[in-house]
Amino acid sequence: MSDASCPSRALMRPAATVLENREVARDTFRLRLGDPEIARRILPGQFVMVRGAAEGTDDPLLGRPFALYEVQRDESGEPVSFDVVYLVIGRGTAALSRRKPGDRVAVWGPLGNGFGPSPGSGSALFIAGGIGQTPFLALGRDWLGRASYGDRPKPESETPVDSATLLYGVRSAGLLAGVEDFERAGIGVEIATDDGSAGRLGFVTQLLADRIQAGERPAKVVACGPPPMLAAVARLAQAHDIPCDVSLENHMACGFGACFSCVTPILQDDGRPDLRRVCVEGPVFPAHRVDWSRPSH
Amino acid sequence: MPWRRRPEKAMMGARRGRRAPPSVPPDRSGWIVERSLRAVVDLRVKLGRLSLKNPVLTASGTFGYVREMAGFVRLERLGGVVPKTVTHRPRAGNPTPRTVETRAGLLNAIGLDNDGIDHFREHHLPYLRTTGTAVIANIAGEDEDQFVAMAASLGDEPGLAAVELNVSCPNVSHGLDLGIDAAAVGRLVRRVREACPLPVIAKLTPNVTDVVAIAAAAAEAGADAVSLINTVRGMAVDWRRRRPILANDVGGLSGPAIKPIALRIVWDVARALPTLPIIAVGGIADADDALEFLVAGASAVQVGTASFYNPAAAEDVLDGIARALDETGVAAVADFIGTARSNRE
Ligand SMILES: Cc1cc2nc3c(=O)[nH]c(=O)nc-3n(C[C@H](O)[C@H](O)[C@H](O)COP(=O)(O)OP(=O)(O)OC[C@H]3O[C@@H](n4cnc5c(N)ncnc54)[C@H](O)[C@@H]3O)c2cc1C
Ligand SMILES: Cc1cc2nc3c(=O)[nH]c(=O)nc-3n(C[C@H](O)[C@H](O)[C@H](O)COP(=O)(O)O)c2cc1C
Ligand code: FES
Repeated sequence: MSDASCPSRALMRPAATVLENREVARDTFRLRLGDPEIARRILPGQFVMVRGAAEGTDDPLLGRPFALYEVQRDESGEPVSFDVVYLVIGRGTAALSRRKPGDRVAVWGPLGNGFGPSPGSGSALFIAGGIGQTPFLALGRDWLGRASYGDRPKPESETPVDSATLLYGVRSAGLLAGVEDFERAGIGVEIATDDGSAGRLGFVTQLLADRIQAGERPAKVVACGPPPMLAAVARLAQAHDIPCDVSLENHMACGFGACFSCVTPILQDDGRPDLRRVCVEGPVFPAHRVDWSRPSH
Repeated sequence: MPWRRRPEKAMMGARRGRRAPPSVPPDRSGWIVERSLRAVVDLRVKLGRLSLKNPVLTASGTFGYVREMAGFVRLERLGGVVPKTVTHRPRAGNPTPRTVETRAGLLNAIGLDNDGIDHFREHHLPYLRTTGTAVIANIAGEDEDQFVAMAASLGDEPGLAAVELNVSCPNVSHGLDLGIDAAAVGRLVRRVREACPLPVIAKLTPNVTDVVAIAAAAAEAGADAVSLINTVRGMAVDWRRRRPILANDVGGLSGPAIKPIALRIVWDVARALPTLPIIAVGGIADADDALEFLVAGASAVQVGTASFYNPAAAEDVLDGIARALDETGVAAVADFIGTARSNRE
């Protein structure tokens, strides 16, 4: 449990306009919401809660958390909308996939802590499993110095990374989403699939292991995906003294710290685990703070 | 401005479930607008020794420790807030998954995860005192003595409006054990009243044969009010994995799904014990929900699960109540409470 609940800058939007909601890969949709103020505030690694329910209805009841994918701006550079990319898993995401442009949905955010500033010169490696690639487009653009997010100016002293690469693992080629977006943003993409239908056959963690084996020492590794993958990445990074952050996807009901659904054991300064709310203290944590011996959902 | 009292009309409207069309179109822009109240309705309510500026409270465990909500709700506008249950010692709570959505509802088995009463006093109370609203501490003891000791220690604290006794949490055994026994609830309320100068509210469980008997014991022992209801025991199963979904197997159901159950219990208790003030809680998500509970006999309402999917829900409910009562010609909410009549009379 936590003492850290700084006043949130999140906004409640009972009826944000769906500008776009189209399938970009198998069961994977890109949703664009026309809310300039959330778009102006949100940072890479932060998330929003979106309700899939049609306006004025209550099914499904709760919102679902989705990471910021990208922010759109008008000619003068003002943010006008933002995107999330989501995989249809259950009732919440299935309902969301039925929303059409012009529909209105409830959304609240930005929520969570985000990734923080660039680690400085050197390379950044992003490791994504499944739909875990979504937070890395905005992060890559931010750390490469190609875009800036949020309504507070970037410190002059922040040095961009020299390169950013996404190591992207999915079950099968049909699930690959947004590879062109990453390439267009100047982020290298290397793919692994469980069935060998694209890129390397095998787990994405093998791509990371091979790079480290070959002597690569990124300034930072950041991972998002299923817990076993995160644990494997954390182990690799720790064994080679590479700074590593992970973005957790714990099950959430509110997204803003009120329900205590999303707790996970986080190691404190004295080395003891304490349950912390992923939605307010995370979703991004230094990998060495996560108690990998006790997985949470 | 026409705000004469027309109680007959209000009652008829309520009885037939007629809903006045909103005079102000709902805000469809998605932008938060200044929600200034046009209405001139006296919203003050009194529950035993507890006076509230309006009947809208938030439910324990669904509003965090209140600070989490400050960005979404103008706290000083609410009738009051009830932070998450505190226990004597810190409790880790249950493993995850702790919540799962069901049709029109939410199942939870949080397990009273909290940092204990000392931490509450040192860390949360100083903040709560600044919120500009009535703060009702919700406590749970492992036994009667612990309840009494906790209530006594909070009784000395400035800035608390009342204490709510959680004798009804379905996710830890002791609270429920105590809360299903009318004599035990009566004894507890009496001892808390002796030990603590604050108004005392007993929060009761629906998971019993007869809530009225337990409410009667609480009333007899001097409870200022009862909160009805805590969550309804339930479960969800993943047949593919052949496992319950919650780590705790079973949990408590909340949200719109339980509103009819809560309404029936409020109605029964209000009719059996007309002088016992009731705080209704269970599936209240908008002003119509709240108004239904008020006419059924509740003097105040708590917004619970609705805050999870609309963090501004409590303020929306408040605005909607004021608007609806104004339009119905009700000058004071106190005159509206319990005005629904049975169809069988
Ligand atoms: C901070 C954060 C950011 C996220 N970003 C994205 C994103 O950008 N794109 C994306 O597709 N998904 C993202 N997720 C995961 C996404 O929220 C879940 O896939 C979604 O909530 C599933 O909802 P559902 O109703 O479709 O499935 P449900 O019917 O609720 O559940 C189906 C299955 O998914 C599991 N599940 C439910 N909720 C979650 C959850 N919050 N996290 C993980 N598993 C869950 C359930 O345990 C169950 O096994 C994110 C999660 C978090 C916490
Ligand atoms: C996630 C969650 C946690 C809760 N925690 C508490 C608690 O700590 N103490 C308590 O008295 N009630 C607790 N409750 C019960 C609520 O206060 C309320 O009585 C119940 O949810 C019914 O109201 P609702 O349908 O409006 O949510 C909790 C409910 C939920 C959903
Ligand atoms: S999701 Fe509700 S506290 Fe984190």
